[in-house]
Amino acid sequence: MPDLHGIIYAYHSSPELGELVSLRTSASLPFCSRYRLIDFALSSMTNAGVRDVSVIMQRSYHSLLDHLGSGKDWDLSRLSGGLTLLPPFGLFDSQFGEYRGCMEALSSIRTYIREIKQNNIILYRGDLAANLDLRDIFETHSASGCDVTAVCADKNAGCTGKGIRFVPVHGTSNVSNLMLFAGAEHENALPSLEVYIIKKNLLLDLIDWCRANGKIHFHRDALVHYLDSAKSIGLYIHKGYAARICSIMDYYTANMDMLKASCRNDLFSDDKPVYTKGRSSVSTYYGDMASAKNSLVADGCYIEGELENCVLFRSVRVHKGAKLKNCVIMQDSVIGENANLNYVISDKLATFSDGLLLSGNEHLPITVPKWRTI
Amino acid sequence: MKKECIAMLLAGGQGSRLHALTSRAAKPIMPFGGKYRIIDFPLSNCANSGIDVVGVLTQYQPLQLNSYIGSGQPWDLDIQRGGVYILPPYQSAGEKGEWFKGTANAIYQNIAFVDMWEPEYVVILSGDHIYKMDYSDMLEQHKANGADCTIAVIRVPMAEAHRFGIMNTDNNGFVTKFSEKPKKPDSDLASMGIYIFSWQKLKKYLIEDEADASSEKDFGKNIIPAMLGNGEKLYAYAFNGYWRDVGTIDSLWESNMDMLSPTLIDLFDPTWPIRSRSPIKPPHYIGENAEIQHSIITEGCDVRGRVTNSVLSNSVVVGEGAVVDYSILMPGCVIGSGAVVEYAIIGENAVIGGGAAVGKQPDGMCEIRITTCGPNSRVKANARIGAGEMVYAGKEER
Repeated sequence: MPDLHGIIYAYHSSPELGELVSLRTSASLPFCSRYRLIDFALSSMTNAGVRDVSVIMQRSYHSLLDHLGSGKDWDLSRLSGGLTLLPPFGLFDSQFGEYRGCMEALSSIRTYIREIKQNNIILYRGDLAANLDLRDIFETHSASGCDVTAVCADKNAGCTGKGIRFVPVHGTSNVSNLMLFAGAEHENALPSLEVYIIKKNLLLDLIDWCRANGKIHFHRDALVHYLDSAKSIGLYIHKGYAARICSIMDYYTANMDMLKASCRNDLFSDDKPVYTKGRSSVSTYYGDMASAKNSLVADGCYIEGELENCVLFRSVRVHKGAKLKNCVIMQDSVIGENANLNYVISDKLATFSDGLLLSGNEHLPITVPKWRTI
Repeated sequence: MKKECIAMLLAGGQGSRLHALTSRAAKPIMPFGGKYRIIDFPLSNCANSGIDVVGVLTQYQPLQLNSYIGSGQPWDLDIQRGGVYILPPYQSAGEKGEWFKGTANAIYQNIAFVDMWEPEYVVILSGDHIYKMDYSDMLEQHKANGADCTIAVIRVPMAEAHRFGIMNTDNNGFVTKFSEKPKKPDSDLASMGIYIFSWQKLKKYLIEDEADASSEKDFGKNIIPAMLGNGEKLYAYAFNGYWRDVGTIDSLWESNMDMLSPTLIDLFDPTWPIRSRSPIKPPHYIGENAEIQHSIITEGCDVRGRVTNSVLSNSVVVGEGAVVDYSILMPGCVIGSGAVVEYAIIGENAVIGGGAAVGKQPDGMCEIRITTCGPNSRVKANARIGAGEMVYAGKEER
């Protein structure tokens, strides 16, 4: 069992996710027919033998709580330790549990962090679609002698999503430069997956420094401060698929990526299974007139129409004559007879009337909110 | 700890009429209808009926069954005061342990388990039937009748009545006559093998039956006739829904095919969910050149060929250009590219080589003959396995 404690941050959703996050946090975004994004963080912890995991949340966390339950689906419902939920916790000197940045969030749970038995903490984005090998990352971290290890995507892996980049020091695996701004160009810059292993005591020091100096951000404040004192950060390059889900387009692209066997096999392998909340449903039924091509379909669907390049979640109903192309349809949605949808992202429980014609395009998929009837 | 009613589920049978399919695992664990195992039906019925103590009597090849049931969590039966209990044959001090000699003897050997719950009533169930039934409704009727035993019955075609335990009743459902597999049946009311007994009464008859050396220790053959002969109050409980005994290859195949007609049995009904232990698998993928019609597909499948009129359990692979028609593919089996599989049951993790032809019905045959490939069996590339043949794991490889 690695000397590692997991903290997943699920308190922030990028506003560019629009309606998809109006009722949920990005960590609980449904993904690839039957998962929520946070399943990847939780499963990689479980698969690496990390037994103590906490989740920081702030707003719109009903769907997240509903999904997590006791944590038993990830084997995290334990007699001691296991899953700990950390909803907003207002200390007297904070703003009533409102935190503006990661360091402020960590600051509000400082007492929790102080009690952690393990000497290392892994900070993990809840909205990252990647199946990280935490055992390997932890071994690399321990062997490097660094106090912080940053997990980055391979430069050529085509990691989607904007964000922090790291530039490795020439000839070493350590990093000195931290490039903070989206789009920053540097030929060796590696996109950060914003997953870090950090020594517990260092994290406590950084929390205290940030609090004392009125700083709130992890990268911009804490890491820059740490690097300024001539320290370096260890680097781990994740070779497999990784997507940071920060916008509707990121979300759509990542779902469509799953139609490619290479991406799908990277995320879902038998030796590192991805666990999720169970839902008892029937197998999917395809009717006499159904047709399906290049699509991913979860259990519980009832399909009488046609699918092409689609990702269908559980218990979707596609009536006769309906044609779905390039769509992501979340659970319990109903597509009426002869409806024709192209480049549509449908949130849960949406209803599309008979004969409806709705089309976005590949650069701008249409998002249909939860419960909406069109 | 007191419970009004508990269930005892007979899951020890070999299912010898399923031949290759049950050579390594008990019948109740047989994959069914894509998502399920046969035992999911009685277990889910118990959970949905509010029965939260279920004793599962195992004997034949129990390993898979034990690990499938586990803590009972998939059926919400992992509770503090009750739950699902695996009951294998065991040895007592000073006695020679012995196998369960019959259905009645299996319960007899577990009288102590039943007594632990001090129940008024015990439901006796089989692990090889496909149906949705509310046992609490049957129990209400049992109580209202003041019955000693209530037997669930279903009407069967007269021509098939000789295969069942057949009952004659009066207008109130009072059983006047019971004959086990009669040669000349005079009623079409067949026993479904589902009984509710008042426990003290059943216990008395189990003890008496055990002492009778000539008895076969069977509910249908011994216990029910003995109770009827002694004038105990036996009532029939009429069931009108879908019910199938899947004890033979033909009935297993037919009942799976029934799952393609949601009008026969509604498994989508959220008020009576049939629950199962899910494999940890991603959604199923349908390839660019795939064709799927009138079929059931489950998580983890990867379908590149043509699938029609078939039931696919989880993690089945159907290669490019393969054709699957009127077949049942159990978890993890692989149909190689260009293979043709018709009217077949392919067991768990079996591999059908590329270009093989399995189950082709001879021209001019009117009776379908189902081909079976046992779990883990291998059929070589381009091999021909004719209609009605059986391929055993390790034994035959052609």
